[in-house]
Amino acid sequence: MIRVLFFSLLLFESLFGYSYDDLLLRAQSAIYPKIVVLDKKVSSKLVDDKILFTVVYCKEDHESALFVKQYIQNKYKDGVGKYPISVDLVEFSQLSKETGASALYVLYGSKNDIKKAAEIARQKRVISFSYNLENLKYGLLFAAVIEKTTTLYLNKEYKNIKSIELADFLLQSVKFIDKSAF
Amino acid sequence: MKNKYGLLLLSLFFTCISLQAEDISSSLFSDMKQFDTVAAQTKQNEHYQPYIISVFETKELEKLGVSNLKEALMLVPGVDMATDNFNVQTPIFRGSNPSAYGQSKLLVDGVVVNDLFFDAYTQYLFMPIEMIKRIEVIRGPGSQVEGINAYAGSINVVTYAENFKGFASNDKAVLKYGSYDYKMGGFVKSFHIQNLKAHIDMYYQKDDKKIASGPDGLSQGSLGTDNVGLSRSGEVPLWFEEYGLGLSMEYKGLSFKGRIQQHKQGSAYGINLALPQERDRIKLPSYYAQLGYAKKLHDLHIDIKAGIKYDAFDSKAKLGPDNLNLRGIIFLNGAYGEHYAKQRTLYQSTYLQYNGFEKHHITLGYILRQEKTIAMTSKLSDLATGNVALVDYTDTLPFFDKDAGRNIYTFWVEDEYDVNEKISLLYGVNYERTSYKDAGLEPRVSLVYRRDFKNIFKAIYSNSHRNPSWQEMFTKNNNARVGTTSLQPERVTSYELAYIRNFSNSVYLQSNVFYLRNSDQIYNSATDPLYKNTAKTDIYGVEFEYKGHISSKDVLYANYTYLNGGYKLEGNNTNYNLPNVAHHLFKGYYIYDFDSAVSLGSTLKYVGSKKRMSMDPRSDLKAYMTLDTALNYKNSRYGYTLNASVKNIFNADVRYPSPQNTYIDDFKQEGRTFLVTFKKSF
Repeated sequence: MIRVLFFSLLLFESLFGYSYDDLLLRAQSAIYPKIVVLDKKVSSKLVDDKILFTVVYCKEDHESALFVKQYIQNKYKDGVGKYPISVDLVEFSQLSKETGASALYVLYGSKNDIKKAAEIARQKRVISFSYNLENLKYGLLFAAVIEKTTTLYLNKEYKNIKSIELADFLLQSVKFIDKSAF
Repeated sequence: MKNKYGLLLLSLFFTCISLQAEDISSSLFSDMKQFDTVAAQTKQNEHYQPYIISVFETKELEKLGVSNLKEALMLVPGVDMATDNFNVQTPIFRGSNPSAYGQSKLLVDGVVVNDLFFDAYTQYLFMPIEMIKRIEVIRGPGSQVEGINAYAGSINVVTYAENFKGFASNDKAVLKYGSYDYKMGGFVKSFHIQNLKAHIDMYYQKDDKKIASGPDGLSQGSLGTDNVGLSRSGEVPLWFEEYGLGLSMEYKGLSFKGRIQQHKQGSAYGINLALPQERDRIKLPSYYAQLGYAKKLHDLHIDIKAGIKYDAFDSKAKLGPDNLNLRGIIFLNGAYGEHYAKQRTLYQSTYLQYNGFEKHHITLGYILRQEKTIAMTSKLSDLATGNVALVDYTDTLPFFDKDAGRNIYTFWVEDEYDVNEKISLLYGVNYERTSYKDAGLEPRVSLVYRRDFKNIFKAIYSNSHRNPSWQEMFTKNNNARVGTTSLQPERVTSYELAYIRNFSNSVYLQSNVFYLRNSDQIYNSATDPLYKNTAKTDIYGVEFEYKGHISSKDVLYANYTYLNGGYKLEGNNTNYNLPNVAHHLFKGYYIYDFDSAVSLGSTLKYVGSKKRMSMDPRSDLKAYMTLDTALNYKNSRYGYTLNASVKNIFNADVRYPSPQNTYIDDFKQEGRTFLVTFKKSF
């Protein structure tokens, strides 16, 4: 029986599909732009004096990326804090160091796509947010997850990043998570 | 001087930054709280709840061609369906007493809608899926609604009246056409004017279903040995016609919820198990209106509700065939009957929740219910002469106690204690008194251990009961059912362990084992129609539920239940096989989205064979497997959806078990059917 269970778990893990949860997309779209502003060094990351929130996605997830864009534009018509905000959609294949971004919001993607997005965020010294908590293991920084309550996870690697300085109260509210947790 | 101004400006600058950060932080946490509330109310965080719960979003079910609540419930792990000679259908949770209704509770937007007569909710099982936003099913005792402690399971139907800020649903109109000349039309409309939120849903549906069945119960002596030769086979009238109207309003803390469910159906297998006529019918109307007031005072949340419910059993049918012989009186043109019993329930409940302690959320409250029969008539063909004309026997030979009444007082207290970040404990107790036999104290404890995001463990111990239904207590002068008020409530003690593995945000496997100790189970039989607390039942089993994907364009859902157990009769130590219960249940569906417009869905259901009661010489009821498929087309430009489905493609022989000495070949269900749905969103 235990063998069957173990095998079943492996089988389920090997299935690789995904879907977007409407509530989680909304929650992250509401929360992430505010976290960008809670970076004490945000003013150095503005693009044309705006926060440029760049959503990175796979081609087939265009609809979900568009939903995020519309949600953020609608919610933050007057900006976040004192900063105006605009949202750009960029496919993984088009993402490069030259892509303008004050922060990256990374939807589902292949392992290489996620690693690439995390690396570019590092090079651009901007915060990277993930839809999928698991993708923090590839170097993305932040993920909000709906558990019993909404929980913010922050990659432990943050402690080694000097270009992002998050507000103290935010750091007190997040759960730090290490690659080994996955 | 310059430096002083410089310092002042600098300090002002940092003060502004810090104020701005404070604003952002408070707005961030307020957003998070709002999503917590939505997640808790929509059961998005179901895996963290102290129950074994499954949640079905109807948007997904619509793609599968699922037509109504009953079809949706057939997908729930551990749930099978049973029916009786009235065709009062009821979902059976984990094999718990398939002969009893009321072991599960149905709530529509938080209002319990089980009727008093049967304690069933068959009139709601055909509620069109398009009127429903979400179905939340708890298996095992308990419910999500304060003070409502279901026995084997509870179903909360959430309509589109649920409306969170920023989560508005579209209005829509629906038309359906299907087999047995099934027709349905309905709409859902929401209004939002300043602080007033209103919602209305309305539908009408009917079909003309008849299914060849028989021989009827007369062949087994249900109306005495003299009438065995009058037994017939034929088409059983399983048609139905109903309209539903739901209205809800919310203004600041005040709320109103009301529903009219006018349900009429064919007399099915006959009150006395004699094949009825085509248009013989039973009406099972259900109406309710509930007023509520909710207020938050700092850490105290107060919720007060008061409501009134009406339900009725209203039958007009030919009860026995031509030349029926009842105690030597011959009914040349058959025996007819009209039975009517109307019930009213008044209730008032209050609950208080205090969240002022850091780690404790304490809830306490009460529900007071007054249940009463307010009208009853009993008419039959002349029992003295056999003349077909109806005679009013309301006072002389009533089928029901016209003074039936019961008061129920329920009190409860519970504490949700967050021991630490990983462990939360819910413990509490219900106490109930009634005008008849009391359930008394019923404690429950559940523990949720969140090892991490991926691994969640639950342990649940709970007690519950089911009060006898009206028909079990108050029916009389009847060949098939005789009630008594001396019945004890049916009782259950439940032990459950669950493990949930979240593979990712959208992929999970929920597994659980359960052990249910049932006592005082209420049964009657065709040969002894008096209801009695006759059995003790032990049921154990395991359930697996998986939801995930094979690609990014599909959804795969599957569940499997194994259950087993036995029962003992009062005063007899022999352990018998669990009767009328499938030991293996498998349900699953797969939806593939070719693009954002077209999808194809398939549903597979397997229900294992069922053993009979120990005295029943019939062979096991055969297992069956059905396969449904549906093609869905969504036109985003014009906002309409078209769905065509074929159910039970291979025309499997689906039968629900009949009791011994009734319809010997069981209650046959429909074979292959089709359905076309057109939905327009506004």
